[in-house]
Amino acid sequence: MPTSSRHVIINETAEWMMRLQCGDLSPLEQQNFEQWRLRSPAHAQAWERAQSVLATFDQVPEEINAAALRKLSRPTRRRAILGLCLAGATAPLVWRAAHDTPWRAWSADYQTATGERRTVTLADGTQVVLNTNSAMDVVFAGSERRLQLRAGEILVTTGHEQGQGGASRPFIVETAQGTAQALGTRFSVRCLPDTTRLAVFEGAVAVHPRLAPAATTVVSAGQQSTFGMHDARQPIDADVSDIAWEQGMVIAKDMRLQALVAELARYRRGVLRTDPEVAELRVSGAFPLADIDASLTLLTRTLPVEIRSVTRYWTSVGAHTF
Amino acid sequence: MQPDHVSVLYRDHHGWLAGWLRKKLGNAPDAADLAQDTFVRLLANSRVADLGAEPRAFLTHIAKGLVVDHWRRQAVERAYREALAAVPHEHAPSPETRLLILEALMRIDTMLRAMPAQTRDIFLLAQMDGLTYAQIAQQLGLAVITVKRHMHKAFVACLAAA
Repeated sequence: MPTSSRHVIINETAEWMMRLQCGDLSPLEQQNFEQWRLRSPAHAQAWERAQSVLATFDQVPEEINAAALRKLSRPTRRRAILGLCLAGATAPLVWRAAHDTPWRAWSADYQTATGERRTVTLADGTQVVLNTNSAMDVVFAGSERRLQLRAGEILVTTGHEQGQGGASRPFIVETAQGTAQALGTRFSVRCLPDTTRLAVFEGAVAVHPRLAPAATTVVSAGQQSTFGMHDARQPIDADVSDIAWEQGMVIAKDMRLQALVAELARYRRGVLRTDPEVAELRVSGAFPLADIDASLTLLTRTLPVEIRSVTRYWTSVGAHTF
Repeated sequence: MQPDHVSVLYRDHHGWLAGWLRKKLGNAPDAADLAQDTFVRLLANSRVADLGAEPRAFLTHIAKGLVVDHWRRQAVERAYREALAAVPHEHAPSPETRLLILEALMRIDTMLRAMPAQTRDIFLLAQMDGLTYAQIAQQLGLAVITVKRHMHKAFVACLAAA
């Protein structure tokens, strides 16, 4: 089955799973569901797979969940400080315990810690600058050059290759949301919670969302696009000040204070947050990343804000208290 | 990749890879298994036809992924064992049932890893804790339509991961 049809069916199946779980289907909608299921063997098969996926969850007995909670529930320090309490919501932690383990740190070919910036030169002359908290794998094969960006943000300047017969291997950056194929360029890729943001400064890049390969978008120099698994947003203007981090700075141009503080927080360990009363204040200027505390002090010089720290790892930017 | 191509790579690099894995895992039988699995993966990979001038880099890349999966499985097993320890003896499942549950946990782990964090949290509230979408929305301060969007995404991730 062609991959695009497979993805359409996955999307439709997921939609019916959600609606049935939600439980507010009218008799007409229930009929529509039955008709959808019977539309083709592929549809019937898709629904069977949905059933088996759901059955997997039923295979874990309740006592195990409750026991796992009592035994393994270990609220993180951040949760304790924020006093977050999902009362009654006891998400099972058997697999959460399996996730928060240190092996993730070593498994990437190149990685940076909080506040660290690093430049690497690859075998083909490509230069990659890794920003704070980034991790990437390099997978060069005979047929392609591929970077898998696991976390964070990189700035890539591709090296030109003289391959046999004159052609150079395709250069691809892959994230959770899909792939971006470069055409001899300079571009940055950043992992966001559900999306990937791509900005191009020289040349062009073709974006292929993972679950919608037909929705290819070309992003040219001076443009940026944010893409998810299903689609890519229309390219908008890119600002080269977005990659000022390469020079060790964040440049704000009439930026909301909350957005600036969130950016600075990437380069500093611990929680750094903004109080709602001052979140909408506008800031302009250049803020050094090597010393975030100094940058925060800089803020107090130009805005009616003060910096409060409860502990070394819990800092807020808020209104003056007198 | 073509089988005869894989055979050549196996002949030239299998011993070296097993040694490399032994150092990483500190365990010869597991290292041997994962070394085998690496070449099996190569056979199944239709995207790459040859490994170019540096085949060992690519082989270790595949092997690292397998090591991560291996450690993940061990971590899930360990967490499951700890959870079992808290269950009263009468309710403890038989060894066969335990194996089935462990495999279900591994499948669930794979599906959950395919989701972003917030989607995963919402999904667990609905799927494991049995909250309604309205209850989840209220608890997390979200609109019901947002919860529905996340649930749709979560189901897509489950179906695509399986």
